[in-house]
Amino acid sequence: MSAVAIPHRLARLPGWTILLVWTAAVLLPLYILVVSCFKTTAEIYDNRLGLPQSWALDNFVRAWTRADLGHNFINSLIVTGGAVILTIVVSAMAAYPLSRYKLGWNGIMLGLFLSGIMLPIRLASVELFTLMRSLGLLDSLTGLILVYSAIRIPFAVFIFANFMRVLPAELEEAARMDGAGETRILFQIVLPMVKPAVSIVAIFTAIAVWNDFFFPLIFIFDDRYKTVPLAISVFVGQFRTDWGLVFASLAISMAPILIMYCLLARQIREGVGAGGGMK
Amino acid sequence: MTKFRRTTSLQRTQQRMAVLFILPALAIYGLFVLYPLLMSLWGSFFTWKGLRMQEFAGLANFSRLFVFPSGARLYGALWHNVAWFFGIMLLQNGLGLLFAWLLFLRGRGAAFFQSVFFFPAVLSPVIVGALWRLLLAPGGIVEWALNGLGLHQGSLTVLGNSHTALGMLIAVDAWNWMGLPVLIYTAGLRQISPQVFEAAKLDGAGNARMLYAIALPLLMPALGTLTTLSFINTFNQFDIVYVMQGVQGNPSYATDTLVTYFYRLAFGAEGAVGITDIGLALALGTMLFLILSIGTLLMLRFFDKRTVEL
Repeated sequence: MSAVAIPHRLARLPGWTILLVWTAAVLLPLYILVVSCFKTTAEIYDNRLGLPQSWALDNFVRAWTRADLGHNFINSLIVTGGAVILTIVVSAMAAYPLSRYKLGWNGIMLGLFLSGIMLPIRLASVELFTLMRSLGLLDSLTGLILVYSAIRIPFAVFIFANFMRVLPAELEEAARMDGAGETRILFQIVLPMVKPAVSIVAIFTAIAVWNDFFFPLIFIFDDRYKTVPLAISVFVGQFRTDWGLVFASLAISMAPILIMYCLLARQIREGVGAGGGMK
Repeated sequence: MTKFRRTTSLQRTQQRMAVLFILPALAIYGLFVLYPLLMSLWGSFFTWKGLRMQEFAGLANFSRLFVFPSGARLYGALWHNVAWFFGIMLLQNGLGLLFAWLLFLRGRGAAFFQSVFFFPAVLSPVIVGALWRLLLAPGGIVEWALNGLGLHQGSLTVLGNSHTALGMLIAVDAWNWMGLPVLIYTAGLRQISPQVFEAAKLDGAGNARMLYAIALPLLMPALGTLTTLSFINTFNQFDIVYVMQGVQGNPSYATDTLVTYFYRLAFGAEGAVGITDIGLALALGTMLFLILSIGTLLMLRFFDKRTVEL
């Protein structure tokens, strides 16, 4: 057996090497990011790869307070949370009749929503800016929540409709016999049955909204309403020489996504593998 | 009779409830996506004074887009987007296929590698761009490592050099999204019946031949999805350029893209004085919209025709 097995294993060596090289290419920059957060700028230059002399939180404290990243962080949390909830509620409401009722116009309406999955909305930013200004939604977290929900609704309706379509018809019929209203059927019977859809929509909406930079760049001018990615884009230039501070702010801004990714890696992999569009 | 009446009354209730249920989503989506998009397309045929629409101008904005002084910017940015697309196809979707194939052959540890490879894809391109800007900066760690290995001497200025800057950005983008092709190809490979590969192995086909002759034709739907997604993402490219090279696509517009050019025209960072030119911006937007829709449709059809079924 071993006479065959050893050349076989040797033949697999180049393949493993290729995979490990890319693993290093992904993890090394992240390792450097993490250790640099704890180093002073001088130490970053002197001790490139090693662990920091002390695990001082100085850079984090300065990023959070002096650069005011804490404020941006809370804004990002509000916008992301608001957009996720609004997107889920209105998209589930729209997907329910479109996938479960015989209306005669289900197809057209669904098509109208689905066409939005691919629309390059950035190209509409001039007219969107004019609209937001006339609605008084510039420099407003509510404005961002509405725009992000609008952009994510097509994908969410698509996912919810796909999951709801395959539920058995007896589900609502029984509830209707018991005298339940349509609103109650949707929120207390149908929605709990499509929990995987809720988590797919929540995960991908949260990632897209937390990471977005384009719309805050256009709509937010007041420092009080800036979100994390917008603040980071400013820091990179503003604190150019203060590397420890910039590294620490990068770490803070990716922390929520990192935690979510560690907890939900399997769902995210399956969601993407199933062809769920990310961007 | 009563049954008939009950269904119609149920249907009437359903029509009314459907309108109520769909309205909030439709209102938000219509107001903040469809309306501005249609207005932008419409507005590209008018002259503009600041943010005010003036009079109908036919195709005047479009012809202005292609001549001096806009022409050079437009063709430059268009070329960078095209190069970016082919770079991503090769670096990201090509290498991604190799990684997915290696993982598929091994089976063991696939979930771990997939999770690691995909991790950068959940990060904001702003974070990724800022991180690589620090790593690639003169005096940064990449310079230090290359000097130490004797591969490079002195200060590393790849981002400041107009010959290398675009290539570096494409590589950073590929680093960012490498997990996506790996996941999509792996999902595609797992749908292929194992008997197909076993039969090929019995016929003496090696791994490389199996990938090329058997897996690749069956992966056409996956390749189609990836090509279309990469096309859309490339022609919307903005964040990485903005964070790493500034909104002008430095050095000297060497990394300028169609969307950074659009942003400068629309929000006033084009030229020395930085005056907006909304007419030009909307014309560029309409052109990009056409490129994206026609390109996407052609790609979907191209790959649909080449889909092989077993």
